[in-house]
Formats: sequence, C-alpha cells, structure tokens
Amino acid sequence: MNAVIQTILIGIVIGALYGLVGLGFGLIMGVMKFVNIAHGSFIIIGGYIAYWVFTLWGVDPFLSIPAVMFVMFFMGLILYRLVLSPLLKYPRAEMRIDKSLLVTFGVTWILDNVVTMLWTSDTRSIVTAYTGTTFNVFGARLGLTGLIGLVIAVLVAVALQLLLTRTYFGKHVRAATEDSGAASLSGVNVQRTYLISCGIAAAMAGVAGVVIVSCYSIAPSMGLSWLLTAMVVIVLAGEGNIAYMLPAGLILGLIQAISTLFISCAYQQPISLIIFILVLMFKPNGLFARGR
Amino acid sequence: MLEISHIDVYYGDLQALWDVSLTIGDGEIVTLVGSNGAGKSTLMKTISGLLKIRAGYIDCDSIRLDRLPVHRIVEQGISMVPEGRRIFPQMSVLENLEMGASINPARKVRQHTLKRIYELFPILKDRAKQLAGTLSGGEQQMLAIGRALMSQPKILLIDEMSLGLSPLLVQEFCRVIKGINKLSKLTVFLVEQDVQLALSMAHRGYVIENGRIVGQGEAKELLCSEEIKEAYLGMEKADKT
Repeated sequence: MNAVIQTILIGIVIGALYGLVGLGFGLIMGVMKFVNIAHGSFIIIGGYIAYWVFTLWGVDPFLSIPAVMFVMFFMGLILYRLVLSPLLKYPRAEMRIDKSLLVTFGVTWILDNVVTMLWTSDTRSIVTAYTGTTFNVFGARLGLTGLIGLVIAVLVAVALQLLLTRTYFGKHVRAATEDSGAASLSGVNVQRTYLISCGIAAAMAGVAGVVIVSCYSIAPSMGLSWLLTAMVVIVLAGEGNIAYMLPAGLILGLIQAISTLFISCAYQQPISLIIFILVLMFKPNGLFARGR
Repeated sequence: MLEISHIDVYYGDLQALWDVSLTIGDGEIVTLVGSNGAGKSTLMKTISGLLKIRAGYIDCDSIRLDRLPVHRIVEQGISMVPEGRRIFPQMSVLENLEMGASINPARKVRQHTLKRIYELFPILKDRAKQLAGTLSGGEQQMLAIGRALMSQPKILLIDEMSLGLSPLLVQEFCRVIKGINKLSKLTVFLVEQDVQLALSMAHRGYVIENGRIVGQGEAKELLCSEEIKEAYLGMEKADKT
C-alpha cells in the first residue's frame, strides 16, 4: 500500500514538472505555430544559471527564480528577433512548423555545444541544507524540494492562465492565436504580442530548469529529452490548450510512475512515447477535446 | 479625407489592381461595386494594410498610410469589418469587443464606446459572456461591426456586409450604418456584391472591373445608368427592345 502511495506522490511531483515544461513550449506552438526545439536548451540554461548563482554566491535556487526568469525572458526576445520573426513571412501553419523545426534545431545545436564548452558535460545538481528533508504523507515520503517544485509549477500555470484571461495583453495573445489577421485589423500589435509571448515562454523554461536542477539534475545533453516530454504533454493537452497543460503533465507523470509498479523503470521514456502515438492516433485534438 | 492615388497591387507576381484612384470625403458613404474577383476585396485589404502597394500612394488627411503596419493604420482612424466577419470564436462577445479597442486612445474610453455599441445592437449586451462562436450569422456580423467601431474610427471599411444574411437583417444593418453615418459623421466605405443595396445606401459609387476603375458617379445616377442595370442588376436595356 505504501509503495502505491509513494508511486502516486512521485508521479504527481514529476507530472507537475512535466506540465511546467510543456507550458512554455505549448505557448509558442499555440500562439505562433512555431515548434521551438530550443525550448529544452532554454530549460537547461535556466538550470545552469540557478546552479552558478547558488555555487558562486550561495543564493537559494528557489529565490533566484525571478532573476532566472528575467535573464531567460531576454533570451526569448533575442530568439524571436533573430530566429523566429523572419519565419513569419510564411503565412500557413504547416510551413511555419516545418521551417521553425529546422531552424530552432540548429539553435539547439549551437546552445548545447556552447553550454558544454562553458560548463563541461558533467551532470550537476544543487544540494542545499534542506535537500534531503522529507515529509511523511500517509506512510510515504515526500521530498521538500519536490513539494516546492510542485507548488511552483501550479503557481506558474495559474499565473499564466490569469494573464491570458484577465489582462489586455493576454487577450491580445489569444486573439492573435485565433486569427492574427483579424487581430491586427482590430489594432493589436501582433508582432509585439509574439515577441513578449516568446519572452514569457523562455522565462517559463527557466523556471522549469531551476526546479529540475534543484530536485533532479541537469547536463548539457538533457535538453532534447525534456523537449520530448514537452511534446508529449502538448499532444495530451491538445495543441494550443494552455489551460490543460498542467493536467496533461500530471496524467503523464502518473502513468509513468504507476507503470514502474509493473515493469522496469527503464521503460518510462518508451511508455510516454507509446502514449504519444496512441493519443495522436485516437484523440488527435488532445485528451480533453470534446467530440471528434 | 482618404485619397487613393494610382495604386498597383500584386498577389505575388499576379497583378490584381491597375492604376486605381479614388477619394472618399469626410462624412460620405462611398461604395465600390463590381462582380466577383474584380478586385473589390483586394482594394479593401490594401487600404487596411494587409496587402502592400507597388506603385502610387494611399493617404489619409495627408498622412501616408501605405507604409504603415496594419495596427498603425487602425491608429490613424481606419477600421475594417473583414469579409466573413472573422470574429474570435473562442473568446467571449465582450472580449471580442475589447479587442476592437486595442489601440491606446480607444482603450481609455472603451466603457463609453461599449455602451454606445450596446445601444446599436442590444442583443450583444445580452450575449456579452457567451463565446462568440456560438452566435448566429447575423449576430456575428453585429459583433464584427461593433468590434470595428470600438476603435472609434473616422473611416469604417465594410467588406461584403450582406453575405449570407437574410434580406430583413440586411435592411436592419443598412439602417444602423446610415444612422451612424448621419449622427456621428462617420465616413463609410462599402464593398458589396449586392449592387442595388450598395447604391441605395451610398452617396457616391465607383465601379471596378478586372482590377480597374471603369466608372464613378452619384449613387442615384449609377443606379439609373443603363450599363449598371445591364451588367449588375440583370435588367435588359430598355431602348434595345
């Protein structure tokens, strides 16, 4: 019984992180129809910033989140200006997906190698005074860092949802997502909306990186595997369904964790990819899509 | 005053408008009539900035429009009701209207403008919280016009207003638009396939054929001219029988 509760707890904690990883990726995908392969690298860079701020100045990783978000926000702006905005000349979504996939793959190549050159390919993680602390939940153990990660993921998801539904800027984002031409005819500065969305997506990648380096570990090569997770999450949630990213992440995390009760945990990645394929085959609009 | 002077417009390598010139004076209702594919919607898209011109210029109260991005043209007081309405179906009616007030001066007074639009189309107020995609065709057209008015334009461009609407609704829209034109001195530029309707609403009209302006005049005169009757209203020439 304890093992089951333990498994579910692990599933929830990692699932929330999956949701967080999916959010930024899904935002760019939904709004601009760009596949940002570099999202995984952004996560890793965010993690490294927190790691070095902690190692050099002893700043608690969770307290460094605002600074990480700030730096990553500007990286997102640069990515948009240099790499993504030239692709806006392709009006159709399929063309944008193709081109952005190739171009951001190149960006990933560059970023991953720069990160390796700067900080070596060693696996790093942050160990603070409270890293080993655990709570007892119905006889199972829940790590403090994992709990903080969970809270942060939920806060970020809620904050993004509020931004999109309650603020003028957020409504601009949704209008540009639905029909960018009609949005600009209404007076929305679509380019600026895209630019800032990109910054926000990168900032969210940074937050995910901080949680990962605090709860787990990072290495320059891990970007692509986190990206793969993000892709599975957005397929589960349905493309452009920002509100369902976190639930989709939780579902994925729980399925992966529960599968370890039956088969070796070495099969976690294949399992998420099998889910990915099954959802695409039977529920191509996501698990939460009504009808069709 | 909106002045369009000798513009050429292309879709890729395909020329769609040849040397088109027209003017729209303050407070006028002007219409552009012509058959399918004559270039009516192309001209609309060009004025609103969705298409770029290769020659000539477009100028509103001596400000060059043709080099501005679309949202900056809205800031100059030119607002378009696009063909097919193009509302945001996954957003509420109220949010759709709020989007119309995206430019800065309009955003500050949006509560006031909103009240005016609810007076014009009371049904939008009842449906404010509903998703725009659930509205009927006529209600969506009201929303599209309301959204365009939210930016407090000087000039309202309307592309194919009557498309897919019942004759009764079309009458209603005509009445509303004539009303705003009279009361608020709003300039209206109307592109319409229904030539009779367009010319009966407008003060002046232009006729476009194969991307070229081939005629212009007072709406009443055009409505009586034999060429228009024969080409667009499906009437035989009276003197040839």
